[in-house]
Amino acid sequence: MDTRKLLLESAERIFADHCDKERLESAEGGAFPEKLWGQIEENGLHMLAMPESGAELGDAFALVQLGGRHAAPIPLLEVTLANRWTGDAGRFVSLGVVSGERIVDIAWGRRADAAIGIEPGGEALLVEVDADIEHRVNPSGEARDSIEIRQPRTLDIEDPAWELFALGRTAAIAGCLGRVLELSVQYVNERQQFGRPLAKFQAIQHSLAIMAAEVAAASRAAGSAIDMLGTANPERFALEVGVAKARVGEACGIVAPIAHQVHGAIGFTHEHQLHHFTRRLWSWRDEAGSERYWQERVGRHVAGLGAERLWEFVTAPNSLRS
Amino acid sequence: MLQLDSVDLPESAERVRHEVREFLRAERDRLPRPCSDFASGHDPEFSRRLGERGWIGMTWPKQYGGGERTFFERYVVTEELLAAGAPVSAHWIADRQSGPLLLRYGSEDQKNRYLPPITRGESYFSIGMSEPNSGSDLASVRTTAERVGDQWRINGTKLWTTDAHRNHYMVALVRTEPPSENRHAGLSQLLIDLRNDGAAVRPIRNITGAEDFNEVVFEDVVVPADRIVGEPGNGWKQVTSELAYERSGPERFLSTFRVFVELVRAVGTQPTADQAAAIGRAAAHLMTLRRMSISVAGMLEAGKSPEVEAALVKSLGNDFEQALPELARSVAPTAPVAEGWDRYRETFVESLLNTPAFTLRGGTREIMRGVIARGLGLR
Ligand SMILES: Cc1cc2nc3c(=O)[nH]c(=O)nc-3n(C[C@H](O)[C@H](O)[C@H](O)COP(=O)(O)OP(=O)(O)OC[C@H]3O[C@@H](n4cnc5c(N)ncnc54)[C@H](O)[C@@H]3O)c2cc1C
Repeated sequence: MDTRKLLLESAERIFADHCDKERLESAEGGAFPEKLWGQIEENGLHMLAMPESGAELGDAFALVQLGGRHAAPIPLLEVTLANRWTGDAGRFVSLGVVSGERIVDIAWGRRADAAIGIEPGGEALLVEVDADIEHRVNPSGEARDSIEIRQPRTLDIEDPAWELFALGRTAAIAGCLGRVLELSVQYVNERQQFGRPLAKFQAIQHSLAIMAAEVAAASRAAGSAIDMLGTANPERFALEVGVAKARVGEACGIVAPIAHQVHGAIGFTHEHQLHHFTRRLWSWRDEAGSERYWQERVGRHVAGLGAERLWEFVTAPNSLRS
Repeated sequence: MLQLDSVDLPESAERVRHEVREFLRAERDRLPRPCSDFASGHDPEFSRRLGERGWIGMTWPKQYGGGERTFFERYVVTEELLAAGAPVSAHWIADRQSGPLLLRYGSEDQKNRYLPPITRGESYFSIGMSEPNSGSDLASVRTTAERVGDQWRINGTKLWTTDAHRNHYMVALVRTEPPSENRHAGLSQLLIDLRNDGAAVRPIRNITGAEDFNEVVFEDVVVPADRIVGEPGNGWKQVTSELAYERSGPERFLSTFRVFVELVRAVGTQPTADQAAAIGRAAAHLMTLRRMSISVAGMLEAGKSPEVEAALVKSLGNDFEQALPELARSVAPTAPVAEGWDRYRETFVESLLNTPAFTLRGGTREIMRGVIARGLGLR
């Protein structure tokens, strides 16, 4: 745990140095943030999920959460997981989702040597990236490219690829939500109307209280799912990830509108930094399975257990961990 | 900002869970009641049996009948009882709140006298805070206690006092000095014997038709001087110190849990997509709330007083338990349309009628949000 703290402290410095507004915009304009990525590689932060790194798998996800806090415009989660599955951090391999004949939503696929396509709940396919890659972006302007599946190689991995991917997005969302709360608290303390800071108005206080509760819930949900990494029970792990992704996804739809409301018109400008975070919340909640997707999956499982086992399901101890 | 750390329940707590489940299996004839609200089943016989098992006053010193167990073990016992719909209201306040208050501020005499019967499940307490003109603004209470020789003479009215007509004692917040600049000064807590001191207790019917809360009128009611809890004038500090216990427990999100159970039963093993999503959504909320609540139990165990975190759990938890019947209704019609749905409907209706109380009792939703806002540094 102490090593995780140290790791996060040094990563915090890197992110803080490289994720200012200017660089977020430049990445959104299509320029890969080579400097930031260089720092990540130099410090081996993209290799934390590789067994030989000696780190706990949870460290990698805690780092992704921190990246979410800074809206770090890099495919940290994707490359981290790809490196774990290919065992070769020398190549830049990213992740996307299999959709019909294509792999779509490949984070920075245009910069990658190869891409892994995950089938929800199924296999993972590796495809070489060539010039035919199509450039796309998600609603927050993050590169989400697409490529035809040609000569795929099925990866032989034991990991639940889809669930780990969803856990990563969950962690990033939790980090990003925390930042949106901080920005909002700071803003309402600074901005004055009617001769006093907005923070002094009860309506504003209550809005932020609602936000704080959602953020605390999201953070607890994400943390608990990260704690379940390495559980001996893959089905339980998948459901825990589902619970967490569903919960943080719901928080996005509550937190983002409140943040914009308390920021007023300035928060609706491109000039202001808020949208880099809120648009990510709106994007990420739909990636790796929306809340509806995971709610259904968890719900079907619970219905299958039946009423008399509902409570047992809710209280299943984390000591299911191996 | 407001962080609720990861806390795993220790082995010891999981062992207790097993024991409680065994115990509850043997209590089948009383269970489950349609409503898992902590305040809705007063059953002295049941409370005594819990006392025998050592499940009341679990964290208190053995010297006073307690079990010297952890907050985690207590947490598990309370959540198991609530989820099963067990009738726990008789001893609930004494175990959760009045006992810990006496332990912290009571005299040695008071501890010896009042705590052991509580742990046996024989002695029940009520909270005497609210009054006709003092609800959210608790510091404005007007009930007075005047020192006359070696007695206190009490005048005023307490209102909404849950189970005052069934319980033995009330801890009343009263004014022992006239109001001054500092509105929190001059308040004290007094122990009232509800059956013998001469307070007039009048039950008030609530919207469910039940008589659970009361008006308690004091007209020159005289009690011995040693009924004061803690220092005279220290009442405000003492009252607020109860809040973390009062607000963060599983009773703040499990009140309508039985609706969830009956919903799962009603939809069966082949739910529609909407039904599955509603169940998954409720599970995601519930499991997250539970972990937040356990995290607060961890802070209590560590000797902290997480008042803001407790308000946060209560606020989010009350919203969840209030919304749960609505969520159920949106995917499973509440009209009795099929065999076996009567149980669902009964549970739904009884829970629904109780929902307005959740965001009022123990501090309203608005007051909770104010506490959270203070924690955020906004006020
Ligand atoms: C079922 C039940 C059981 C109870 N049991 C007990 C008991 O055993 N002992 C006991 O002492 N009390 C008990 N209470 C009383 C409870 O503590 C009070 O209802 C609560 O504190 C609110 O007070 P009030 O009802 O007077 O409402 P008010 O304080 O008059 O509030 C009415 C509404 O105005 C809002 N409001 C008030 N002040 C503000 C403000 N500053 N800013 C914004 N909004 C505000 C409130 O949030 C609420 O929505 C019980 C209540 C219920 C419903």
